[in-house]
Amino acid sequence: MPARPRFVREHALVVVGLLAVCLGGCGGKPTQPQLKPEPVLGQPGLETPPLAVEPGPHGTAGGTSEEPPVAPPEAAFTPPPLEALDHDAKWIDRPVRDALKDLATELAAEPMLASAAEALALKNNSPVNNAKILSALGRLPTEGEADFGARVNRHLAVDLSSTNPIMQSSAAESDVLGLTNFGLFSFDRHLEPFAAAETVEKWQTSVDAMLDKVILRDDLVWSDGTPITAHDVAFSFKVIMDDRVPVPAVRSGTDQLRCVHAYDDRTVVFFHKAPLATNVWNINFPVIPKHVYDDTWEADPTLKDSPQHVELEAKPIAGGPYEIVKRIRGQEILLRARDDWHTVDGKKVRDVPFFKEIRFRIIEDPNTGLLALKKGEIDEMALTPEQWKTQTTSDDYYARNTKATATEWVSFHFAWNTKSPYFSDRRVRRAMGHAFDHERMLETTCHGLYSPGTGIFHPTAWMATKKPIEPYRQDLDRAEALLDEAGWVDHDNDGIRDREIDGRSLPFEFTVLCSQQPMALEICTLLQQSLERIGVRVNVRPTEFTVLQQKQLDKDFDAAFGGWSAGSDPDTSSNIWATGEGRNFGSYSNPEIDKLFAEGRTELDRSRRAEKYARIQEILWEDQPYTWLYWRNSFYGFSKDLRGYVFSPRGPYHYGPGFGSLWKPTP
Amino acid sequence: MIHYLLRRLALGLVTLLLITFLVYALIRAIPGTPLTAAVAQTDPSRRLNPADLERMNAAYGLDKPWYQAYFLWLSNVARGDLGRSISRKAPVTQLIGERIGPTLALSGSSLLLAWALAIPLGLYTAARSGKPDERAVNLVLYMLYSVPTFVAALALQITFSIWSEGKLWELPLFGMTSGEAHETTIAWLADVGWHSILPLACMTYGGLAWDARFINTNLQEVLRQDYIRTARAKGAGSFRVLGHHAFRNTLIPVVTLLGLSLPALLGGSVIIEQIFTWPGMGRLFFESLRERDYPTVMGLTLVFSLLTLAGQLLADILYALVDPRVSLE
Amino acid sequence: MITRKDPTAVARDKPPRGFWGEAWGRFRRMPLAMAALLFVCFLAVVALFAPAIAGTKPVVCRYKGSIYVPCLAYFNRDWEPVVFATDKFRGEYPQNLRDKDPESWAIWPLVFQDPYRAVRADEWPGLPANPTHENGRPNSRNLFGTNQEGIDVFAKMVHGTLVALLVGFVSMGIAATIGITLGAIAGYFGGVVDMAISRVTEVVMCIPTLILILALLAIVEKPTIWKMMAVLGFTGWTGISRLMRAEFLRLRSAEFVTAARALGAGPGRIIFRHVLPNALAPVVVPITFGIAAAILTESGLSFLGFGQPPPSASWGSLLNNARSNLQMWWLVFFPGTAIFLTVLAFNLIGEGLQKATDPRLREARK
Repeated sequence: MPARPRFVREHALVVVGLLAVCLGGCGGKPTQPQLKPEPVLGQPGLETPPLAVEPGPHGTAGGTSEEPPVAPPEAAFTPPPLEALDHDAKWIDRPVRDALKDLATELAAEPMLASAAEALALKNNSPVNNAKILSALGRLPTEGEADFGARVNRHLAVDLSSTNPIMQSSAAESDVLGLTNFGLFSFDRHLEPFAAAETVEKWQTSVDAMLDKVILRDDLVWSDGTPITAHDVAFSFKVIMDDRVPVPAVRSGTDQLRCVHAYDDRTVVFFHKAPLATNVWNINFPVIPKHVYDDTWEADPTLKDSPQHVELEAKPIAGGPYEIVKRIRGQEILLRARDDWHTVDGKKVRDVPFFKEIRFRIIEDPNTGLLALKKGEIDEMALTPEQWKTQTTSDDYYARNTKATATEWVSFHFAWNTKSPYFSDRRVRRAMGHAFDHERMLETTCHGLYSPGTGIFHPTAWMATKKPIEPYRQDLDRAEALLDEAGWVDHDNDGIRDREIDGRSLPFEFTVLCSQQPMALEICTLLQQSLERIGVRVNVRPTEFTVLQQKQLDKDFDAAFGGWSAGSDPDTSSNIWATGEGRNFGSYSNPEIDKLFAEGRTELDRSRRAEKYARIQEILWEDQPYTWLYWRNSFYGFSKDLRGYVFSPRGPYHYGPGFGSLWKPTP
Repeated sequence: MIHYLLRRLALGLVTLLLITFLVYALIRAIPGTPLTAAVAQTDPSRRLNPADLERMNAAYGLDKPWYQAYFLWLSNVARGDLGRSISRKAPVTQLIGERIGPTLALSGSSLLLAWALAIPLGLYTAARSGKPDERAVNLVLYMLYSVPTFVAALALQITFSIWSEGKLWELPLFGMTSGEAHETTIAWLADVGWHSILPLACMTYGGLAWDARFINTNLQEVLRQDYIRTARAKGAGSFRVLGHHAFRNTLIPVVTLLGLSLPALLGGSVIIEQIFTWPGMGRLFFESLRERDYPTVMGLTLVFSLLTLAGQLLADILYALVDPRVSLE
Repeated sequence: MITRKDPTAVARDKPPRGFWGEAWGRFRRMPLAMAALLFVCFLAVVALFAPAIAGTKPVVCRYKGSIYVPCLAYFNRDWEPVVFATDKFRGEYPQNLRDKDPESWAIWPLVFQDPYRAVRADEWPGLPANPTHENGRPNSRNLFGTNQEGIDVFAKMVHGTLVALLVGFVSMGIAATIGITLGAIAGYFGGVVDMAISRVTEVVMCIPTLILILALLAIVEKPTIWKMMAVLGFTGWTGISRLMRAEFLRLRSAEFVTAARALGAGPGRIIFRHVLPNALAPVVVPITFGIAAAILTESGLSFLGFGQPPPSASWGSLLNNARSNLQMWWLVFFPGTAIFLTVLAFNLIGEGLQKATDPRLREARK
């Protein structure tokens, strides 16, 4: 050992010991609030390493055929003149909505279960109280109620890796950049897409679903004073799609667009490759200012090397309601509301955002974060289940804060490699589901806070199956019967089941990969113990996140523990389940499902679409390529000064209006 | 002396080359690249075609064989350019520069504080060896040593930040500064100093037992020497014996320790940096390794190695100064 | 003729014990050091007999006419008698033994708890299921309490003793051996030898350990804690080596060395027989503290997932459990106390060893 104890303890620990960067990553949540969230590689617990988590907006299945398109070189596409388009297209008007006003209307219609004063005095220790708190405090302000000069301290578990909107890759970035970005589209609490009334005047789609036309408002200005035009949108598309620019995350989705063309300063038309129901998500991509990047991006397509780009990283130009005024790397990021967002030429053109200043304070360690919340140094924080259950129940917590929870469409599972000799048989996969001690996991590891897994769609989703799904419970007899039936019997009497494959006896011993987080380890250990009881041996292999990704991409695993967060559009799941798709790590293949996905993509009627996806969910539930374990809740602590938090299936912030609905009352 | 120094510098350069070469080979051998995460995030419906992958690799300089990439890095370093961080999109020198100050501030003060406390403790325990008060002091020190850092950190945070809220001795919960603008540098320094008290305490308490025992052990050995007996026989008081005769003869191991502590000045403590959100090099290293951010990892390794080599050279020179029997070759 | 006894023969009745024999004799007479040594032996005994102290498998039992030793399964999963799997015991012994063979008997461990899982209700007649989370306070059934999952802390501590002892010995053993040898050679010979060894030392010092661990994980199929500890040992010797080298630099020109050389002793003998006992003082502390600190390091490693793959029981994993909820003080107190006692014991032993081997304390033979 090196000499000093600081070495001995801390050096080995210097090299080894770190919690929250592994932990404290983005809270397992999808990226931009305004943009399309998609199936995401979530990790259990809040904590996810920044790079790992969320692939950015993406994931709509490409093309009309099941085959993943290897992009053919596009013939140069000349956009037809606007008059020709207007003549042929037969435009349908699409919703342009003010998300905040719509939310206010929706909330006003819901009954108020308690007054604000009552809710503030409550302790959130039951679903009834939780509903009361959300109902009373999750309201939008009436006239004069909100304090527009308010400041709020928000929690960030991990620092941004880039302030450039098209380089986004983590939830931390979506939290911050969602407030400073210029965007055209969003989706609401019910995951319905719309064009933002703050930026869009008119949105139309052609009847044949091949074109989308957007007319921007004329009172949009970047934070350096230059007007925002349709040319910025077209330019952003060009940069994102250029092969030299390394932004694969953001590119997914946009590569389903044939072209984005700006006809004048206000009119932009999106040309799709095929008439799909999922086209609406592809037109949602981050926008960067053309007048800033036009001269510089080609010289440095990585957007981070040249001195100009380095400077831009430090002082980005904002197009949204806030701009970054100060950034101390690793410590905090200060956002201030832009005056020229809501007031142009002296006239008020948009709603003033509820906060004057938003300060993101970076605290990686969850214990320190909770202490900061208790002390009032931050106003909101995502809580771990353990913190929710045990450390936020006493009076000293409720002195300044309250808390709320809601279900999220994030589910965790064991993924079985259907190509491995162990899990190619459906009976074996079902046996795994029957052998696992679900009750123990739900009650102990999950603190009784999560609901059991029900397959790929959450029971409250519009596309979920209406047939009742019976969650698996531990039934060792049934598991053993299934294994016996599948031919896994202990022939050689060594305590481990085996089967003859290709003339050799193969013992049923496999490795399950998981991340290095305690909850993942606990659950996999539980699997190991459950299966040990019926003669199946499991080796649990905690794996570094990057390596875990790699192994899954290479399909080099027997079983793995992981999670997905649901995309806004059910078609995003085809990435995982259709034959040969990129996230189909377990090599599952079912032609019926492939067909249903293809149909769902092109089916424009919502209820008929829902039927198809429901059927997909049922088939998958029977086939059990995953053993679905639980649906996670999101848990948040809020200062008693805050109001207006509303939960969606993607948490309180990652939808429209998201954080924009929070406010502080005037004192 | 000059010859010796020149020789050591030349040797140091060769060693440095060897070290950076080995480290680069190792980190390229570890599975996963900076793009692994990016690839995982790609649109999965699009089978990532090899041409795309190659383009992305080229953009990050990963398409070359690793030894070529190493020489490229080396040539850049010779020109003073440590490259750009892949995951953080900023120059490596900037990243390191941002963190050197805070790390040094904390480790440097911790080192000084630890020795300031350990030397008297070591002397005291050596003088009172075997007596009950020495046993008691040692017991307390061992107990301190056994407390895990995160326990101590949380206990300190709760005591001095939560329970002491509003009081005069309330200490900041986390962070390096309070984020407010400061008029003068003195005010800023005071702010940083105030924020560093808790992390400093956490860094120092554990090493006290070790350092004190180290001095104690070496002193014991020296105290048994004949010349000490002579000094005592000649009537020298115990403090003079300890302080003047004995302690100086323990300087060689102490110098070794100093040489070994130098790199730790920039190593930082990952746990403490993370609990207190202190922008330190330890965290930077850990995160960039996890992200496979090769330029940053190499930059940090270079800095650490430089310091390590400097520390050993310093120790070797000091040996000759401290003990006449040791000569520089 | 009067025969006279050789006067020196009396003094030579006792055969000379040699250096280490004498050192042991002196060590034996130091009460604190012996107590510490006994404590370490006690830990070794606990480690060896862990399955008999705490466990849910019988120590020895008779079932269907044959005698079995199921508790050995705690050392190696393959040693679990197959008959219990065939007869569908599903890991639960008390009830099954009685039901499936009324004539069976079993000798049970002292404490019926398992280090790898929580005990279910009525597994042992009358024993309720282990409490979980904050209800796991120390109680009459769970002497040290349980962790969040309900696993008994006492059982974990008992079964973790083996890991605790061995991680220290493995990593420090390797580090000390390499460090002392290389440092001694470098310091004694000086010149080119010193230069070469010093450069090697510097290279090893500068390569970050974490990178080596990650590289190891990549190569090795089944990474275990031993391999990790070996890596730490193979990289952690540099401090000891530097300390040794400094001592040898200082001592190589001492009179007794010259004398030994004059007597014809070769370098090996001089280094290990004459100089080393005088040079050990500075490395006593790194080694003794290092053994105990290895436990904390193991905690850090397992926290990051580099530790023993499950199922595993170690003191460090208890500390990790404590991280997310320090209100469960028993998760820190018991392993912390164990670590404290280990630190104390090894330091007392180190002190004792130092005094025992100090040539200057050798009593003059009169």
